[in-house]
Amino acid sequence: MPGTALSPQDSAFHALNRLAYGPRPGDVLRVAAGGVLRWIDRQLSPDGINDDRLAQQERQFAILAYDRGDLAAMYTEVRRERRERKRAAGETAEGSDSVGAQHAAPLPKQTPLPTPADPMIPKSRRLAGEFADLAVVRAALAERQLYEVMVDFWTNHFNVYFAKGADRFLTPDYIEHTIRPRAMGKFEDLLIATAKSPAMLFYLDNWESVAPGASPQSPLSARRRGGQGVRRMPKGINENYARELLELHTLGVDGGYTQHDVIDVARIFTGWSIGRPQQGGDFEFHGWAHDRGEKQVLSVRFEGGRDMDEGIRLLKLLANHPATMHHVSRKLCQRFVNDDPPDGCVDDAVATWQRSSGDIREVLRAIFHGPDFWAVQNVRAKVKTPLEFVVSAARAVAAEPDTSPRLAQVVARLGEPLYLHVAPDGYPEREAAWVNSGALLDRMNAAVALAAGKLPGVTVVLDSIVSAGDADQLISVVNEKILGGTMSENTKQVLRRQLAGISDPMQARALAVGLTIGGPEFQRQ
Amino acid sequence: MTISRRVFVKSGGLALFSFGLDPLFLARAAFAVRPSARPPDRRILVCLFQRGAVDGLNMIVPHGDPIYYRERPRIAVPEKDVLDLDGYFGLHPRLAVLKPLWDSKTLAAVHAIGSPDATRSHFDAQDYLESGTPGMKATPDGWLNRYCQHDREHQDTPFRAVAFGPQLPRILAGTAPSLAIDDLQAFGLRAPQPAARDRLTRAFEELYAGSATGLLSTSSREAFAAVQMLKRLDPGQYRPANGADYPGGRLGKALLEIAQLIKADVGLHVAFADVTGWDTHVHQGATEGQLAGRLGELGQALAAFTRDLGDGMRDIVVFTMSEFGRTVRENGSSGTDHGHATAMLVLGGPVQGGRVLGKWPGLDPAQRFEGRDVAVTTDFRDLFAELLARHLGATDLSAIFPGYTPDPRFPGAISA
Repeated sequence: MPGTALSPQDSAFHALNRLAYGPRPGDVLRVAAGGVLRWIDRQLSPDGINDDRLAQQERQFAILAYDRGDLAAMYTEVRRERRERKRAAGETAEGSDSVGAQHAAPLPKQTPLPTPADPMIPKSRRLAGEFADLAVVRAALAERQLYEVMVDFWTNHFNVYFAKGADRFLTPDYIEHTIRPRAMGKFEDLLIATAKSPAMLFYLDNWESVAPGASPQSPLSARRRGGQGVRRMPKGINENYARELLELHTLGVDGGYTQHDVIDVARIFTGWSIGRPQQGGDFEFHGWAHDRGEKQVLSVRFEGGRDMDEGIRLLKLLANHPATMHHVSRKLCQRFVNDDPPDGCVDDAVATWQRSSGDIREVLRAIFHGPDFWAVQNVRAKVKTPLEFVVSAARAVAAEPDTSPRLAQVVARLGEPLYLHVAPDGYPEREAAWVNSGALLDRMNAAVALAAGKLPGVTVVLDSIVSAGDADQLISVVNEKILGGTMSENTKQVLRRQLAGISDPMQARALAVGLTIGGPEFQRQ
Repeated sequence: MTISRRVFVKSGGLALFSFGLDPLFLARAAFAVRPSARPPDRRILVCLFQRGAVDGLNMIVPHGDPIYYRERPRIAVPEKDVLDLDGYFGLHPRLAVLKPLWDSKTLAAVHAIGSPDATRSHFDAQDYLESGTPGMKATPDGWLNRYCQHDREHQDTPFRAVAFGPQLPRILAGTAPSLAIDDLQAFGLRAPQPAARDRLTRAFEELYAGSATGLLSTSSREAFAAVQMLKRLDPGQYRPANGADYPGGRLGKALLEIAQLIKADVGLHVAFADVTGWDTHVHQGATEGQLAGRLGELGQALAAFTRDLGDGMRDIVVFTMSEFGRTVRENGSSGTDHGHATAMLVLGGPVQGGRVLGKWPGLDPAQRFEGRDVAVTTDFRDLFAELLARHLGATDLSAIFPGYTPDPRFPGAISA
């Protein structure tokens, strides 16, 4: 890198930690030999990267074969069966949108989990777990690593909550067809797509937002909007989406908007709704629910008498607003450079955003080519999120994840149940959110289990990465393969002491790998 | 045995020990010092979340109101079974074990309490109850965590804020350190034998003591200190005092572990546990039945906790909360649907008990919220603010409940 103090190998390790979910065995040398900037450029054009192996793996995920209508029907069926069962047994029926147990599944300890094909697990629940695991499998196996990192970034930026009512069956469609196709495209397209997505409309209640006093011509059709009969008619505007759109998706909390702006944004989106959400319906604009009065947002006048087009106009305005450019660029720099990103890289990203009309790929390119990305003080400056930790650990030991939800349950156990962040801000990027004593112990346990081949959901064969020899040799191989040669002197000494009393080479290898992955260096990226 | 958490905090700086010394040995030596005096700040708050929306009307029964009986022909608790409290309200009979606490004025109830937000979604209402900012979904942290962020009076120990369950709940999410403990016995490194576990613990401790920086360093120190403390505690050997008999199930286990940590004096200040099974849409039951079973477990667990702690309850307040109440009128399935206000219980030494607090709005349809539910007359933040201010000594309530000024008189649950 021009001006960088990093060796080619260190540069490759750094890029693989940030643009990818960590190196697999051999990746560091391969990327260093081929030139790290060339590798970065290839990652910026994911369409040109062959990902057949992942595609093959994806075919084992049944959930990709169902659309949201299928999932809704399945979900309704499961709920009906459960109601009947409960009625027969006289037990409590937990609420439809109560926070379910699926994400709180503890890391399996002694008791064996039911196998994925266990008929006692309702199909819809199995599919939900499977969908979380699909994210983990993609992150672990994809050749298009940067693309998967960006999918995770946007999934959090445009967060929805899987366990809220209809989002149980709208979320998979949202990820597959709203987020993924636009993860490296234009920000404006992504913003408009999320605004029209049933998952977001449901999650932030906009589907219920109607002009005050508005009612549909046919009350029957209104009652049917909820599928099984809604309990109450929406009575006016709902500001939830409007507020989060400004605060989280676009301008940022200090983006200079007022409560009046929030209200008028909400008025502009009245009528943006869903046709039969309980049946997995699609976006629908309800003219009867739309407020056709005049509005003003950020001092821009929206003349009266318009329909859905004013919403699109507003989204375009927001997507290209300077505050949005700054807010989203800063979040990208926080993800890729430092929890507290230097102004320089944010400014570069904003300038590129302006020049490229919000082309995400070009903004990323600017960040990766900037001096801050390669500055020594920003290398290993970030702590891995639970997803990054689990996936990078699996990659480090060339582990093969299966299609069961177990690996995703490990990620959940470490604090990041996928698609289950309840608040609209998505999982945080800052280390303070992830590093606490209980979570660290959990990471250590997961590392030891992984190295011992006992982590559920993955098959590990350490032979493929480490050849056992004497202790020093073993430590040196583990350092190269797992830590990219960054192991501290202290860690080497501790490992040496720990390995001293162990004669069984298999046991020694598992211990060295477990301690390294659970140790402090591997928590950083 | 007693471990002073002040001594413990001082010994927490394992990284200070230079290379070659055995930090664990020194830490153990520090643990062995017996404190000469107990720290004065021992007040503890225990939060039980009745997740799923408890029917406040069948928990604290308005048996003096004929409307209650008229609206609930199949699920009202019959007058003869209600344990009268004040001539109008009474306890559900399965909470009879709590009646002595009421009589000794260490148990109070707050009725018609809830959220100013009208939502009847579990998801939204639970979110607001935990964030403490009704109507604001983007609040990143929970109100109990915000309390810990602003509390400078109490020691920051690994066990200061603990949620008993597999995951940290929203109410404790935030920048202040808090712990989720699913099983006290399993907290720490896992290995088949104790010797292997000790060895692994020691290895990781040395790795982090020598190579970790920043937050990884401080958090790992807390983690290993907590593991050390728990090892000494030997959770498997705990025997409740005074013949306290905790019920089986998650709640009994959680309260037992909370009692254990309190007695171990490890600096527990705020504890949290979930109690589920309140979403009684179908066949709710009256004196007996589904809700009665859940209330029975709750009452038994609270009674056991109080008995186990004995004099220790002087410094402890336990309260229940739930995201909303349920419809005044029973539904077609002999159950109740999502409503608005509910009732909450507050018990412990500092409680001004023996009273049903809050302004009762009445059950007449004209007095109800949207014609169907008990109206909210006490914002839940008024009760929470009182617990934090009067019991724990919080001073800056505006930082904990942004945008809200609690009623300065509070509901009156805690002695001023």
